[in-house]
Amino acid sequence: MASYPTPQPGFRPAQARPPMQQQMQHPGQPGQQPGPYPQQQQRPQNPMQPPMNRPGTPGIPQQGQQQQQQPGLPGQQFRPRPAATSPAGMPRPPLGLDPSGRRPSAAGPMPPSPSSQRPPMASPSFGSHPGQQHPPGSQPLQRPPPIGIQRAPSPMMRPTMVAQPGSPAHQRPYQSPQIQNRPPPSPFMGHGHQQGAPASPAMNPMGFNATPNGYGSNQSQPPTPKMQNQPPQHQQHQQFQQNQQFQQNQQQPPPPHQQQQQQPQHQQQHHQQQQMAPPNAQGGLIPGPPTPTPQAGGAGTHKPKRMYPTGINSYTEPAPSYDAIPNPGFVPAAGPGPAPPAPGLQPMAQPQFFVPGEKQGVPAPGYQQGHQPLPGQQSQPNVNQLAHQMGGMNVSNGSFGGPGVPQLSTVALMGSAPRILDLDLPPPPINLPANASITQSPHANCDPSYKRSTLNAIPATSQLLSKSRLPFGLVITPYRSVKEGDEPVPVVSDSIIARCRRCRTYINPYVKFVEGGQRWKCNMCYTLNEVPSSFDYDSQTQQPVDRWQRKELNHAVVEYIAPTEYMVRPPQPLVYMILIDVSYPAIQCGMVATAATTILESLDRIPNDEGRTKIGIITVDSSIHFYNLNTASGEPQMLVVSDLEEPYLPQPEDLLCNLSECRPTLETLLNRLHDMFKDTQNVGNALGPALQSAYKLISPIGGKILCLQSSLPNLEGGALKVREDPKLLGTSKESTLLQSGSSFYKNFAVDCSKSQVCVDMFLFGSQYSDVATLSCLPRFTGGSTFFYPAFTAAKSEDALKFAHELAEFLSQRIALEAVMRVRASKGLRMSAFYGNFFVRSTDLLSLPNVPRDQSYSIEISFDENLNIPVVCFQTALLHTSSSGERRIRVLTLAVPVTTSLSELYMSADQVAIATLLSCKAVERGMNSKLDDARDALTNKCVDILGVYKTHMTASSSGATPNLQICDNLKLLPLLTLGMLKHVALRGGSQIPSDLRSYAMHLLSTLPSQCLIPFLHPRFYSLHNMPENCGTIGTDGIQMPQTMNLSSERLERGGLFMLEDGQNIFLWVGRDAVPQLCMDLFGVPNYESIRGGKTTLPTLDSDFNQRVNLIVGKTREMRRSSYYPQLYVIKEDGDAALRLWFLSHLIEDRAEPIMSYYQYLGHLKDRVNSGSF
Amino acid sequence: MSAEAMVFLFGVIVGAGLLFVKVFFVILISDLEVDYINPIELCNKLNQFVLPEMAVQAFLTTVFLLSGQWMATAWNLPLVAYNANKIMNGKHMFDATEIFRTLGQHKKECFIKLGFYLLSFFYYLYRMILALVNDS
Repeated sequence: MASYPTPQPGFRPAQARPPMQQQMQHPGQPGQQPGPYPQQQQRPQNPMQPPMNRPGTPGIPQQGQQQQQQPGLPGQQFRPRPAATSPAGMPRPPLGLDPSGRRPSAAGPMPPSPSSQRPPMASPSFGSHPGQQHPPGSQPLQRPPPIGIQRAPSPMMRPTMVAQPGSPAHQRPYQSPQIQNRPPPSPFMGHGHQQGAPASPAMNPMGFNATPNGYGSNQSQPPTPKMQNQPPQHQQHQQFQQNQQFQQNQQQPPPPHQQQQQQPQHQQQHHQQQQMAPPNAQGGLIPGPPTPTPQAGGAGTHKPKRMYPTGINSYTEPAPSYDAIPNPGFVPAAGPGPAPPAPGLQPMAQPQFFVPGEKQGVPAPGYQQGHQPLPGQQSQPNVNQLAHQMGGMNVSNGSFGGPGVPQLSTVALMGSAPRILDLDLPPPPINLPANASITQSPHANCDPSYKRSTLNAIPATSQLLSKSRLPFGLVITPYRSVKEGDEPVPVVSDSIIARCRRCRTYINPYVKFVEGGQRWKCNMCYTLNEVPSSFDYDSQTQQPVDRWQRKELNHAVVEYIAPTEYMVRPPQPLVYMILIDVSYPAIQCGMVATAATTILESLDRIPNDEGRTKIGIITVDSSIHFYNLNTASGEPQMLVVSDLEEPYLPQPEDLLCNLSECRPTLETLLNRLHDMFKDTQNVGNALGPALQSAYKLISPIGGKILCLQSSLPNLEGGALKVREDPKLLGTSKESTLLQSGSSFYKNFAVDCSKSQVCVDMFLFGSQYSDVATLSCLPRFTGGSTFFYPAFTAAKSEDALKFAHELAEFLSQRIALEAVMRVRASKGLRMSAFYGNFFVRSTDLLSLPNVPRDQSYSIEISFDENLNIPVVCFQTALLHTSSSGERRIRVLTLAVPVTTSLSELYMSADQVAIATLLSCKAVERGMNSKLDDARDALTNKCVDILGVYKTHMTASSSGATPNLQICDNLKLLPLLTLGMLKHVALRGGSQIPSDLRSYAMHLLSTLPSQCLIPFLHPRFYSLHNMPENCGTIGTDGIQMPQTMNLSSERLERGGLFMLEDGQNIFLWVGRDAVPQLCMDLFGVPNYESIRGGKTTLPTLDSDFNQRVNLIVGKTREMRRSSYYPQLYVIKEDGDAALRLWFLSHLIEDRAEPIMSYYQYLGHLKDRVNSGSF
Repeated sequence: MSAEAMVFLFGVIVGAGLLFVKVFFVILISDLEVDYINPIELCNKLNQFVLPEMAVQAFLTTVFLLSGQWMATAWNLPLVAYNANKIMNGKHMFDATEIFRTLGQHKKECFIKLGFYLLSFFYYLYRMILALVNDS
């Protein structure tokens, strides 16, 4: 019943959703929806919008080129790993593992050990050998690339250019030159330009409206010089608009995100820039780049996104021939096409497209008033102020000493596409008072990747918080991985740990030294403590030391090596107990073979610094098989226990062996594992008793039980039933399927947590696998769940994904026997915890294992009002590192306190809010109803928007035509909609509960960096990406600009990529030109492309290599061990796959959930009706 | 001593027992809040009393019903129904993994039950004395 006929989760193949299909039929037609992208886009930062609608406009490709030329693009700016990726971004080689995991079957079905007592199941008499019928290693079903296919002439042919519907637009000159004739408005405008530039490519992925066969059409076309001299037709109009715009600008402070974008990492520098820009620096803008600081260009080398490109001052005119020959899309460096367009020109091109009101979208009546509580604030002062502020200006002065300087910039939500590039922006700055930190170290505050607060200014009273309706909490990823290029966590190795004697806070950069430095005042409870003498004097070397150099006073993230007081026993070694399901389904899908091979290959990668790591293997079907890995003969010895009622350990020792000592025996065993069971017909699985045995084995030490489970446990304790009832799906009873179906696992998890045992689940479901119940074990023991629906190792992609993730998992340097506690300044209390752990006391989380990159969310409530200027949150993670050291990782986050509502809004971090809300929604969905969870999300959005409207805008009561929110929260409705449409929370009866449970697990454990793409996938247009995308640039592989998630962007002849961190989809339009198919897939035409799970072939075409690099980078760029699988979606291919892909386009309407614009309308109605 | 007095004497004794159990619950739950006990221990301790408490209360109700004490039966029946409902939903036990999330509810429930048993206790006592007075 609950089978997954096709591998794609989320949809039963036969069920199609009519509205989606409708949309599918007009993929390339914008304007289908009620005005999401009106022709006169009022979109604030999308100056390129008008040309976007004219497919042939030569100006469009220009944008693309800008992208590569202008490093100031935010999209590139906040790429997660800027510098780390160069060639490493290539798709990983399959770990040296033949993904098939096939192994010579010469070895007998049983280990030759004489003592092996295996019951008759090994008898070869069974007729069918399923394991052989579907050898896990059989060839991937990939069609060999056809050979000898004639190469299509080149995409340059582009027959489509002929009959462009929008071809009149060809006539429209590229408008950039206008600027040259126009006085630049103000330095502010200069801002606008720079900031507008980045936006547009995202919105306007180069000709996304182009013709059906737009592959390669309207490629990069630098503007011709001719055009520059030609006064464009609309110039006057434009100029008028420009002026209007200018005026508006003067009235309105720029939204903070603009400033953030502007603000380089080195704020000082930026500050200089700002000041150097004279208010009417017209000369600076006219023919040359708008940049006021030429030297900034030089700095472009290291932070390309924030700087101006070097070329910006040396603009060379492009060859005049360009406008005649539009360049082919991705032809590698062929001809003049890829020649970078005039670099100097681009920044200037931007202001050109400013239209009145673009800042605010639809200018709403009364809207401006909303901004004008500060009439004295002129634009220029604002900029400087902000720059100051970022440089550490004392904000709390503002909050305490008066009405403050609200620089809240309100944006209107409706009428423009969401500016998704801002998803990658860093959170709003934390504006601590000067001298808040005693050392002024740049690392004195916590990096958002470790810990971020939903509010970067804490309300002083609980009334203020409840008035704002903003959620208040922390998102903590204490044990995030440190990739190449990241700064390692500094370690304090002298085991001097200064802690407050009352609240046990660790000394941190925000304490105060008093009494001549003899004592320090705790910043949480204000107790005076003695400073340890060794802070100033090293008794070993008998030298005075400088306490200001101590790492714990300079770094917010620091690790102490803990002395013995922090141990209840010697640090435990790493222990892996691998529990493999060897019942018929597991063998048949090839899981056992793949797992054995992967483990074998990963043995060297398992952390084993001191040679203490222990490993054991148990296999289970209807009986439990132990393996003695420490035999004299070197042959593994199998010991079978068939008593499931009271499973006992067949021998007291040697079942868990030292990895280095038993290595040869272990290798022998792993090599034989598949063959030992390949003929099994046993469908029983006694997971419960096996877990108990494993627990008995390792509970004296603690460690990790790694469960590879391919069938539903059906014997003895822990037996599960197929609970899924399609009739329940989509009803209010659905959440019962998401709750644990058996108390066995919960109780077992509690036992495990007590003995520092962590259970990790790798679930392989060809049928219902009850992820909901089995994921309880990881949830309460600090483990992870991996789920492979419809896994079959015969598909090399499946095997590769599993092998990659298992290998990554085994090689992770995890933390062991950990406890985590979060302390906060007096008055605040941790009230709810979300994530995978066991709550051991009111504020103590117990984590038998801490996997890398797992995130924990904590909600905070007020005990009493705060009358302090700065609040601190300190997370301490006491753990044993995988190298056997007891360590304490301390993360300190300091946030200013504010009394003003506007400051509160201004400092809200939408990404952290979304992370916290998704955890809360998952919890609500599991414990009560999914409907409730969705309603709660929407209500939260309505509340926030409503309060904002009432208190922060002039139109406090009555209906307003638009929704307004401060700039830093403007994507919250989109992210909320992403959650509502996510597999984990979406309504409807098509989603099997396994997939829902797994998605819920991910939602509540993924760190923000991975969660945001998971909620709001990244969407790229590949067929017309700029030439530099997919090549290795200064900061790794260049990615194309992300686009809004709307099927409007799809073209019939295009190639699009969408990825959410778990899957990658390549969408091929039905009119894809043969050249594209040839270059990318090595097949002659669209019809020969095979849809579904695939591996991209590696061809020697440039396009193929670039796409491969982009896919490889996508798999590498985030901190997670998930390996996204690649699906090729053909526009007219498998309906289920297509619908699955389309369900990620969250701005579209997908019954019964609204499109983004409808959702905004809904929110607006609720806000206007005052129902919040 | 009349049957009525006997029944209410039994009620008084059982009521006192239930009262003690509830006080024990409240004490342990407050211990958890101030971190004197860990949730696993708490649940192990409390869970062994949950079902007996419910059973005793249901038994007492049955006794009242059989002896024709309609008032006392009507007073007790809602609690019996509430307990039965909890058992059927499988939510009667304390769950160590959820305890902190549900602590508020548990505490509230404990206090309400405590009040209920206290009132019951005095009611039974009053009825017992009344019955004894009537007897003599």
